[in-house]
Amino acid sequence: MRLSRRWIPALVAPVVVAAGAVTVPMVADADPGLPARTPQQVLELVATSTEDSFSGTVEQTSDLGLPDLSGLGGGEDGAGAAVELLTSSHTARVHVDGPERSRVQLLEQMSQRDLVRNGEDVWVYDSSEQTAVHTTLPEHEGHEPAQPEGTPAELAEQLLAGVDETTEVTVSGTDTVAGRPVYQLRLDPRTDATLVDFATLAVDAGTGLPLEVRVHAVGQQAPAFVVGFTELDLDTPDASLFEFTPPPGAEVGEQELPDHDGRDPGELPEGPRPEVSGEGWATVVELPVGGDVAAADKSGMLEQLTRPVEGGRALQTSLVSVLLTDDGRVLAGAVPVEQLAAAAR
Amino acid sequence: MLFGRRRTWAMLAALALVPVLVAVAVRIEDPGRDGPPFLGSITSNGLFVSLTAMTVSIPLFLPLTVGVVAGDTIAGEASLGTLRYLLVAPAGRLRLLAVKMAGAAAFCLAAATTIALTGALVGAALFPVGPVTLLSGDTVGLGGYAVRLGLLVLYVALSLLGLSAVGLFISTLTTVPVGAMAATVVLAGAAQVLGQLPQLEVIHPWLFSAHWLGFADLLRSPLDLGSLGENALLQLAYLAVFGSLAYGRFTTKDVLS
Amino acid sequence: MTPQVGAPLAVETRGLSKVFGSQRAVDDVSLQVPRGSVFGFLGPNGSGKTTTIRILLGLAAATEGEVRLLGEPMPGRGAVVLPHVGALVEGPGFYPFLSGRDNLRRLDAADPTTTPRTRRTRVEEALERVGLSHAAAKKVHAYSLGMKQRLGLANALLRPRQLLVLDEPTNGLDPQGTREVRHLVRSLSEDGTTVFVSSHLLGEIEQMCDSTAVMSAGRLVWQGGMEALRAEGRARVRVRTPDVAEARACLAGLGLEPDLEGPALLAAPLVDGVATEQAVAALVAAGVRVRGVEVSGETLEDRYVALTGEGFDVAG
Repeated sequence: MRLSRRWIPALVAPVVVAAGAVTVPMVADADPGLPARTPQQVLELVATSTEDSFSGTVEQTSDLGLPDLSGLGGGEDGAGAAVELLTSSHTARVHVDGPERSRVQLLEQMSQRDLVRNGEDVWVYDSSEQTAVHTTLPEHEGHEPAQPEGTPAELAEQLLAGVDETTEVTVSGTDTVAGRPVYQLRLDPRTDATLVDFATLAVDAGTGLPLEVRVHAVGQQAPAFVVGFTELDLDTPDASLFEFTPPPGAEVGEQELPDHDGRDPGELPEGPRPEVSGEGWATVVELPVGGDVAAADKSGMLEQLTRPVEGGRALQTSLVSVLLTDDGRVLAGAVPVEQLAAAAR
Repeated sequence: MLFGRRRTWAMLAALALVPVLVAVAVRIEDPGRDGPPFLGSITSNGLFVSLTAMTVSIPLFLPLTVGVVAGDTIAGEASLGTLRYLLVAPAGRLRLLAVKMAGAAAFCLAAATTIALTGALVGAALFPVGPVTLLSGDTVGLGGYAVRLGLLVLYVALSLLGLSAVGLFISTLTTVPVGAMAATVVLAGAAQVLGQLPQLEVIHPWLFSAHWLGFADLLRSPLDLGSLGENALLQLAYLAVFGSLAYGRFTTKDVLS
Repeated sequence: MTPQVGAPLAVETRGLSKVFGSQRAVDDVSLQVPRGSVFGFLGPNGSGKTTTIRILLGLAAATEGEVRLLGEPMPGRGAVVLPHVGALVEGPGFYPFLSGRDNLRRLDAADPTTTPRTRRTRVEEALERVGLSHAAAKKVHAYSLGMKQRLGLANALLRPRQLLVLDEPTNGLDPQGTREVRHLVRSLSEDGTTVFVSSHLLGEIEQMCDSTAVMSAGRLVWQGGMEALRAEGRARVRVRTPDVAEARACLAGLGLEPDLEGPALLAAPLVDGVATEQAVAALVAAGVRVRGVEVSGETLEDRYVALTGEGFDVAG
């Protein structure tokens, strides 16, 4: 039977929708046509960046070859929170006004966690628990982090600090991140001993702000870890954003500052000083925890994630390996488990 | 027409019952911090009843009622035998389709409004009312809350538009309204199940239910309208695709009932 | 834009066919319904009448062929033509949860060319005309089949129409109601409305219509004036004689096919070329005792059965 032309809209509409879905991101990601730069010049761009007031949306996704365990309801204990951080995606809004005032809002579907810093005052608010915890920072103890923790800037600094003979740094091209033209710095480990294939750092061509970090694992097409801005607004955020008053009904607490600066909620609690072996990309960190780590795991999550190896249990992801030895040590590194086992002996 | 029907009012009444049940249950026993989002906040602020009721209604009750309305649009007329008289009147097939879609959209808005308003009223009657704490820990006054609740109603109504368009299309395929309603409701369930499967992450942003629970973004400070926009685009895409499918099907179909 | 008032035919189809799967429900039907006529669309149930009507009204698409309604092509010009056409198609269809009055108001509102200002009066007049005013406020689910049928007629009469298409209008009506419908059709026709009535009941068509078309198994088997249909029937000759066997042989010799109608009564349809007097002369010559000879025209019913090849009320 001949097809009536009344079906034409039904044929056209999906095509238009699909075309829109494909071309809009393509237009947004169009090659910005920037002049060529050397790695040195791009790094200088970062170093000379004066842009310290902005707000934006940061997204983090991981593809570590781990099962998605977000449904298991981790996040209560440190290990659960770490696993949750590793396996699921996160969106945060970041507002920064100079080095003293910042606010990070970790967005979850029906809840949100806020870290508000205004000078010496730091508030951590958790909407699902309805708790507000206040911490007072000591006055300028050494250096101040130029950027809030967990942002691309912080990760970029870590990466850049490692730039030495262990790493080959090139400018792999230009791109668009969060609607802004960027240079892509590419870092290739000079060793084969690591699970890291290469990493890229997107640097805003206009402001020098690091906007995105991608880490690619050996033998994996999609990046294993991505954190970066999806939106960036260079206007100074509204001052009221940094003035936090605990809402009525919230449980308000006060926390004494430990040895280190206030850390992000959800980060592994820091214990005794770690031991470091190996070098460069193949560095192995050893942390004596004491006692049987696996036995302390209440949720049974470690049991699920790890597999037994000689002398303990191991967690192997595409990017990072963790070895929990029977004698209570934790070894971790961006290396295969076998190397951790060798380091443990 | 839709609102001249007892069944429509019965469904709205059933939806209104959700916030009432939530409020009464909390009144009888304080749930503490457990249960669905916002539930624990109700005892200190009755206005949260709307939000809890909306959260619990979105996965099932709202799609159910919208499925009934959207599935009934054309198939219902066909089964009553009124479709042929409307067409001979002549109502015009495109016009009839547009009127039916508009009716379904109006129901989506009415359904979301019912839950939000009943929730606010019941909450105000049973619990204290005051400035509302947002997810970010900031508080807004009643005026600011009213604006956000209005946006939230809009968001939820918009969320159901894609499902309505799917239901409209299914409704043009059959003369058995119950079949069209069931198929629409089943699809709403299926979309949510697919949305839960991590293996299908690629298609998640394309499900009409993708942003159903994203209305929480309207309860953050600063106000984030990003997901409202994304949701609107997605739902409009569904409306365009399934609306034109319904048009193709309905304007070429032999009305034999 | 109004339909061409001058078009001589109210309904015209050319080579109309409708195929459902492998079944030809309507097969090469070319109808011509003169303006101002009361046209009877006759045929057993399942002969394709309703399908034809659906195609006429643009509810279904023809597989082949053309349709003109009031001179305008259908379904292309439906929006222009249909406001001038009132229809009752395959039984009434109403919202059971609305009153009769509200049903009519809604259907009237569905036509974008009606004037909302006059809706109230037009609805009341239509209800009055079919004798439903007393039940106008009742919900339709409380209506009897006959009342629904009347409401369906009222819907067709919501505004002055050039053409009324009534599919089995007396279904479910009692004899009183049937007579009222007949009356209504007559009076509408007197006002100049073309009425297209379909029925499987010959008697109904015979009493109402001045021209007719007969459908059988999807095909149009006859079309023309009612009188012509009546006149076309072949005459029968009846011979009363005690010598049945001889008479039969003699008539058969003339090419007739006699049947025994009674103990001493033979009947045979006359064939061309054989006059009654010839037959009588032959019988007398053969020594048959002819006690009576009678020539009668064929009844319309005989004619109808001959055309459709089956009795009334044959479903299928």
